Amino acid sequence: MNQLIQFSSSLQGYLAVGAILFALGIFCVMTRKNAIGILLGIELILNAAGINFVAFSKFRTGLIDGQIVALFIMLIAAAEAAVALAVILRFYRLKQTIDADEASIMRN
Amino acid sequence: MNKVLLLAQILTVASAIVVGFHPNILYASVFLLFTFCGVAVMFLYAGADFLAGAQVIIYVGGVTILILFAIMLTQWLYKIKLADIRNKMVLPGVLATIIGAFLYRALHQMVLSLPPQTPEALEKFSTTPKTALIGQALLGSYLLPFEAITILLLGAMVGAVWLARPE
Repeated sequence: MNQLIQFSSSLQGYLAVGAILFALGIFCVMTRKNAIGILLGIELILNAAGINFVAFSKFRTGLIDGQIVALFIMLIAAAEAAVALAVILRFYRLKQTIDADEASIMRN
Repeated sequence: MNKVLLLAQILTVASAIVVGFHPNILYASVFLLFTFCGVAVMFLYAGADFLAGAQVIIYVGGVTILILFAIMLTQWLYKIKLADIRNKMVLPGVLATIIGAFLYRALHQMVLSLPPQTPEALEKFSTTPKTALIGQALLGSYLLPFEAITILLLGAMVGAVWLARPE
């Protein structure tokens, strides 16, 4: 138990959580048919990247540059979510579904 | 004190697993909220107090609510349509595991190549407030990315309004 607590507060603990979140995000993006489900996976991936930046910023460089990059990641994720949800609403109005497999207008 | 960090990490990973595997998209997005809260606590323990606040405001207060709105606008609650039909789960699972393990190994190599901080420096970094430092950096050496991101946010806002306009 003590070892687990020690591991969790080390750099490796942060990197492990980041890697697990990234893998789950990739899994979510690949398996979901729902467009909003794909968006959930993308949010998980962006959070994993932020965790890694913040962890390296504390445990290795000792500067705040990593935190600023994490802040930019957060803002880009917010902008991306807003635009993606607007596209999903538009698509729903067009097709009455948000199944990502139905978005095949630009195929052929 | 560090038990809180361990609990936050367990909460993050557990609710992320629910996000990845739950067939109902509504429950998945509610559990995404718990993931964001856990990540905010992790930021707090990594000495990123401003980022933890921004995480709660932007993700918990903004993105999750936006996603819930989109779900409620596009699908009826508790209808069978909410469920994702997923028959192919083995190949994505294997691929995601390989990618995650590779990422952890690669970052682990990077950890070994960088010099570690002393415990005193870690303590000092954790206890310094970061808001003023981030503000000075944003208006100093990071001025150009800061301006670029303001233009990006303006463009995203205008684009979202234009895309979601009534017919």
